[in-house]
Amino acid sequence: MLSSTIGYYSLILGLCSSIIIFYFSIINYQDKILDIKIFYFTFFQLFFVIISFLSLVLSFIYSDFSNETVFNNSHTTKPLFYKISGTWGNHEGSLLLWQLVLTLFIFIFLFKSNNQSKQYRILTLLFQEIIIIGFFIFIIKTSNPFNYIFPIPKQGLGLNPILQDPLLAIHPPILYVGYVGSSIIFSSVLAATILNIISRDWASHLKKWILVTWFFLSLGILFGSIWAYYELGWGGFWFWDPVENVSLMPWLTLTALLHCVLVLEKKIVLTSWVVILSIMTFTLSMCGTFLVRSGILNSVHSFANDPERGLYILIFLFSLIFLSIFIFFFFHKQNIKNYSSFFWLSKETSILINNWFMMYFLSVVLIGTIYPIFLEVISSQKISVGPPFYHKLIIPFLFPFLLAMAIGPNLKWIKSNLENKVNLILFFVLSIFVSSFILKNSDQKFLINTFLLSSAFYLFFISIRDLFTKKLKNFSQNIAHFGFSLLILSILLNNIFSTEIIFNLKESESFEYNGNKIIFNEIIQNNQKNYVSIIGNFTIENFDGKIDNFKPELRIYNQPNIVTSEADIKTSFLSDKFMVMNLVQNQEYFNVRYQVKPFMIWIWSSVVLICLGALIGFFKKKNEK
Amino acid sequence: MYGRKVKLRFFFVVLIITTLILSVFLILKSLEENVVYFQSPTEIKELTDISKKKIRVGGMVKNSSVSINSKEISFVITDFKNEINVTYSGLVPNLFSEGKGVVAEGYLNDKNFLTASKILAKHDENYMPPEVKSALEEK
Amino acid sequence: MRSKFFLFIIILIFIIIFLIFYKGLTNYSIYTPKINIENDIPVFSANIFDSDLQVSSKELFDPKKSYLLNIWSSWCVPCRDEHALLMDLSKDEKVNLIGLNYKDRLNNAKNYLNELGNPYSKILVDETGTIAIEWGAFGVPETFLIYENKVIKKYIGPLNQQFLIEIKSLIK
Repeated sequence: MLSSTIGYYSLILGLCSSIIIFYFSIINYQDKILDIKIFYFTFFQLFFVIISFLSLVLSFIYSDFSNETVFNNSHTTKPLFYKISGTWGNHEGSLLLWQLVLTLFIFIFLFKSNNQSKQYRILTLLFQEIIIIGFFIFIIKTSNPFNYIFPIPKQGLGLNPILQDPLLAIHPPILYVGYVGSSIIFSSVLAATILNIISRDWASHLKKWILVTWFFLSLGILFGSIWAYYELGWGGFWFWDPVENVSLMPWLTLTALLHCVLVLEKKIVLTSWVVILSIMTFTLSMCGTFLVRSGILNSVHSFANDPERGLYILIFLFSLIFLSIFIFFFFHKQNIKNYSSFFWLSKETSILINNWFMMYFLSVVLIGTIYPIFLEVISSQKISVGPPFYHKLIIPFLFPFLLAMAIGPNLKWIKSNLENKVNLILFFVLSIFVSSFILKNSDQKFLINTFLLSSAFYLFFISIRDLFTKKLKNFSQNIAHFGFSLLILSILLNNIFSTEIIFNLKESESFEYNGNKIIFNEIIQNNQKNYVSIIGNFTIENFDGKIDNFKPELRIYNQPNIVTSEADIKTSFLSDKFMVMNLVQNQEYFNVRYQVKPFMIWIWSSVVLICLGALIGFFKKKNEK
Repeated sequence: MYGRKVKLRFFFVVLIITTLILSVFLILKSLEENVVYFQSPTEIKELTDISKKKIRVGGMVKNSSVSINSKEISFVITDFKNEINVTYSGLVPNLFSEGKGVVAEGYLNDKNFLTASKILAKHDENYMPPEVKSALEEK
Repeated sequence: MRSKFFLFIIILIFIIIFLIFYKGLTNYSIYTPKINIENDIPVFSANIFDSDLQVSSKELFDPKKSYLLNIWSSWCVPCRDEHALLMDLSKDEKVNLIGLNYKDRLNNAKNYLNELGNPYSKILVDETGTIAIEWGAFGVPETFLIYENKVIKKYIGPLNQQFLIEIKSLIK
């Protein structure tokens, strides 16, 4: 009770301090030095949001069911860890977390931007406050996390068990840091455009923010797909589900932006690209929130859908878009004096090519995601766009993309010649040889697979070579590219060599395929704290005499009444063995899927490598200054 | 005479425009090929010819229609007006059960039989795929 | 000139996208059964609780009387909260309280009634949840006030004192 009241009023106080900051910033704009009051109120704003967030966490910990959010999403039998993570496992709480990150970021921004001009800092603050005030009103008006219910229920409705998972507890906060980071980039780019101060110094200041955002966004996507891999039991890690696409789109633009800023740091070119990409990244992040929260897209993320909320975000989002378009058209000046051309064979060109590829991938994903919505509105026909669409359009372009990625970093700025031509060709021949050797036994789509695999191997070899020959000159880029080549390589090999078998079995029956024998030994049933667990005990006798034991589990949760499957995954250095079991209602048969998926752990670790690259890049610059 | 720079610029513009047109064309074409349409059992009954394309059928799983053997699962999808038999050999989602909403994706054998390659049911008690919802409301 | 043209085109595109998203908002995806206020009750037949007898809706509802249909389940926590109110209501002879046992196990339901008392004059069984859908129910608990074979009022979620007074006054 008490904590809800405190939480609610500190939210309102937070809104008040945002408005005060906004007011002071306008007053202070013409002055020479930054008013110290602005610092105080930015701190107050952060402080109030933290208090509000903590009181919601407390309500969850003490299972205070007089709070509607807690009632809807918690239960007394839930383990403490999930009570806490339940705070952001729902719409209202996650918005509060979002707000927390927003206010925290602007606070850090004010402190870390001392060396930038005062007007720039004020303008960035102003734009950021517009976003913060927008979200405050959104939270208080349409999704207040501190609503009372009376009479006070004795028990809550429980958190969706599928969300009761350690990875999913940390996945949203990390992803939000990524999304919110893009808002800082958005504000600072708009501010810099208005003041026309896009310079090399500014670029390296912005680069840090981009690196942080990119790091968290990549990590967030990684956690999301690891979770999908073992929790949803679909036996894959990426399904081109609309919600996944929505997080991939800002990642694509942000990746392009990161490369553009690298150019901008050296030379004032591609400024329009930087502005457009920053606006796009932020817009796509917000658009993702809109699409998921409004219920236009439906997916595994079961937030309560409410058209009123959707409408608010929609109007807010489009006002921001129009604002940024106007700023771009009226203030952005192409710096003609500095628009020095560059030779076609140079680092700039390769980064431009990278941008065009990113834009292409983006438009494929964007169209695949929103075309069904458009068609339904226009002609009320219901369709869905599946993985074949994406595969068909993206895979052929991976080949030139990977080649450009391998050669690009070895080029020089402005003008360059291909050095070591023989060397490069030799590597290419080597990779074709290696990939056709690997694929010689697989007959399907030999040609395409060989091409793809050899381009991936090419990038792999070249980046390994660079790791050794460049002597840590550009270590962060090397390691990120190396990670990316490893990622593509393991995804390809994983796709080509995965095997799966699906069958229905009764207890104590067995099943044979390709000389392997699968025996369903028994069912073990026992009661846990908030669910009943049914464990199937399987033995697999492989054709080579090896014996594996699998214990996939079904959990029947009582509150809410939901069944989930926990896959049993045996991870090894080279491949994952994955077994999941499902229940068919009122039947003795169990529905079982068994898969052997090579290089799964390599996929995860290569993304970690990529993130590591971003992290190294972030700290390296700091040391130099 | 145009300078070399202008020529190069012109060349780039043409290149960009052609790639743009080409990629839009590519995207639209494969969109058309890979889109999966949604139909209710009643709409399937009204079809004049059976297409070879993948479709989605949605409705309720008819009560006591689920049967299972070691290879496949078969059941009946109904929209309380018409029915369609579905056979499926693959992983069944946990929320698949009799009297619940379901969407089956696959190929039609004829107007009464569908061989499904994918079954969708959602992880929420109250959830009903929007397709099923409107199919049921039309009855 | 050229940039103005581009500006115009881009704004136009975004306005169109806005309109489409706006329209898309109206068909959102949670299943919301049509609320049958002042609508005829559905025609169905169901098993009577703890027996093999089947009863159809025509036999069950007398057009001249008023009924209160309550959807409940032993696993539903808010049902427990409203149970005392239902017991209270059952003492009123004008009210015919009919229960619809929603997706429940027979033994659990029996235990539940033994523990808290049985307010219902009749209990129907809805093992699969299909009858509840026919009624247009969102979940449990939910209560329908029926008069002349029409649904007069519908209460979503547990009843409280205020609703109780309203029900009593409506029945009179």
